[in-house]
Amino acid sequence: MFEEFLEEIAQKNRLRQVNTYLKLATGVSAILLCLVSTSYIAPLFIAALLTFAILFLARVDAKTYAELFIHPVWFGLVSVIGIVLIYGGPTVFWNWNPLPWFSLSITRESINQGFFVFSRIVGGMSAVCFIALTTPMTDLFTVMRQCRVPDVVIDLAMIIYRTIFIIMNQVVQIYHAQVMRLGYSTWRESIHSFASLCGATFIASWESGEDLIRAMDARCYDGRFAIMGEARKPEFMPAVALCGFVFVSSIVVIISHGITIL
Amino acid sequence: MSSIILEARDIRYRYPGGMEAIAGMSFHIRKREKIALVGPNGAGKSTLLSMFNGMIRPVSGIMLFDNQPMQYDRTSLRVLRKRVGFVLQNPDRQIIAPTVFQDVAFGPTNLGYSETEVRDAVTLALRQVGLEGFERRPPHHLSGGEKKRVAIAGVLAMDPDVLVFDEPTSGLDPAGSEDIMELLDELNHDGKTVIISTHNVELAYPWADRAILMVNGRILREDIPELAFGNPETIRKAHLSLPTLLELHSELGKRGLPLPGKVPRTVLDIMHGIESLIESKRSTIRPGTITVCNIDQDMQGYLPAWLAGHPGIPVGAMGTRAKQHAENVQLHLDFTYGVIDKCILKALLGENSLILTTGSMVPRINQRVDAYGKESGTCIAVALLVPGPASDIPGSKEGDSP
Repeated sequence: MFEEFLEEIAQKNRLRQVNTYLKLATGVSAILLCLVSTSYIAPLFIAALLTFAILFLARVDAKTYAELFIHPVWFGLVSVIGIVLIYGGPTVFWNWNPLPWFSLSITRESINQGFFVFSRIVGGMSAVCFIALTTPMTDLFTVMRQCRVPDVVIDLAMIIYRTIFIIMNQVVQIYHAQVMRLGYSTWRESIHSFASLCGATFIASWESGEDLIRAMDARCYDGRFAIMGEARKPEFMPAVALCGFVFVSSIVVIISHGITIL
Repeated sequence: MSSIILEARDIRYRYPGGMEAIAGMSFHIRKREKIALVGPNGAGKSTLLSMFNGMIRPVSGIMLFDNQPMQYDRTSLRVLRKRVGFVLQNPDRQIIAPTVFQDVAFGPTNLGYSETEVRDAVTLALRQVGLEGFERRPPHHLSGGEKKRVAIAGVLAMDPDVLVFDEPTSGLDPAGSEDIMELLDELNHDGKTVIISTHNVELAYPWADRAILMVNGRILREDIPELAFGNPETIRKAHLSLPTLLELHSELGKRGLPLPGKVPRTVLDIMHGIESLIESKRSTIRPGTITVCNIDQDMQGYLPAWLAGHPGIPVGAMGTRAKQHAENVQLHLDFTYGVIDKCILKALLGENSLILTTGSMVPRINQRVDAYGKESGTCIAVALLVPGPASDIPGSKEGDSP
């Protein structure tokens, strides 16, 4: 249940060693192109390219990727249905007036708009997944420091990042201990066990907070945190791949200008 | 011997609202000593250790570091904590940063080192504990032993004079424990004073220069391990058990087989005792040779050739880097801890053996074998493996030893 952390994949994927900026640039440019595009074709094209990169270059397990993708897509689908029903437009296919001041209709324009939004969701999701699955948080801290994010924010982020795994570990241990003693056998029991899990976790995190302060004091903490610099120069092949990706996608964005599904 | 680095004068400590954890202790620790604080759970070991770097201040009595009473203001504490490194029992509680590099760099950064100095300190510390190449790994992806090493590296990076370890081997498998104990030996060899707390008598007995037995916040006995662990009554009071070697020694004595020489600290010692009881068998065997290979020299090509010429020879590696080297060249190791003693044991059986080690440890092998030779009267030859003439080994002249 807790085994498949995104972070785990990010640490082990095949694109792990590629320069962080190249990977970030890929993701961010994909998002921007999806936003600039006026047609559903470009976002879907970008999504296909990035999915290919995730599955075959980064070698992320297809099932994991699908699971990761499916939840936001469901969420997006619900919103899209909403858009389709209330967007309106002149070419009406279906109409229903349940109340005098409220009507639902499906029009040509609303279907176009709905599908367009949906393709943007898919494109954006694949871009975010690309960053999340190929770039570990630890590399992003380096980028944050170089982008002049305030030190306090980065330090806090790093401590939170480190602590998440320690507390998660404790939660898993307590949870297993509860399951072994049939803590989740009935509904009532589950509520009770979950409450005590929360309580125990709170105490554990409080304690690890105190331990953290002690450990930092013992090592002469003076308000400074080391950050690893980005030592890897942008490599030739990935840089070429990024340029190619941006170029081809931009062309698709331009060519597909204004194309709608209906 | 050398001068005193840490001293306690009648220190006492009481946890708020609790019982007295330290009930009046006085002792001193000399520079470059290996000290084991041994006692049952709740004896006050951890509390005492926390006083060594000023995390806990005694309620009464004083602690002295380098013959100066400890000051508890911010500046003095920083100086103290730079010089006394503390490694906690649970590495998860000590590792703060999201990557190995950042964690090891934590101390040096806060001491205000420049970026290159930090990088050098981290590289050196990771090298000392044998974790080169782990810089970018996040701590939660490491094994228990690796985490422990990261925690140790984090402290080593500040280059302290005294290293304090709370239960250094807890949660590690037996081989991992031996590895860590050997690492502590290496560090001591590099000039650090090493203090550990443990309730593992078997580990502390052969390792320590001096043992301090604690129970209920008091010192029960403070002496060299042979004497500190030698009294069954004291051991019983301290809720510990007799080290197997000592027990064997005393049981042999009780059965009218007193072993000559000193009380045994290692299997080698006791074998020497037993063999001198059975004098006749020993004299017939000519002892084997121990060959030492310094991996700091460029042995590329030569070592495999040498090994091919000596099939089946037992090989041991001493020190973290030597073990890593063996792993890199996929060399099967027969011994990974207590290497010198095991090779002497082999030599006594008339067999040859090879020890891989780093330059700084070579004299130590000679010392140990010589000491054994003087004591036992058996002369064991130690040969240093030097690459042969450059003509028969191509590439042996590169010589880029680190």
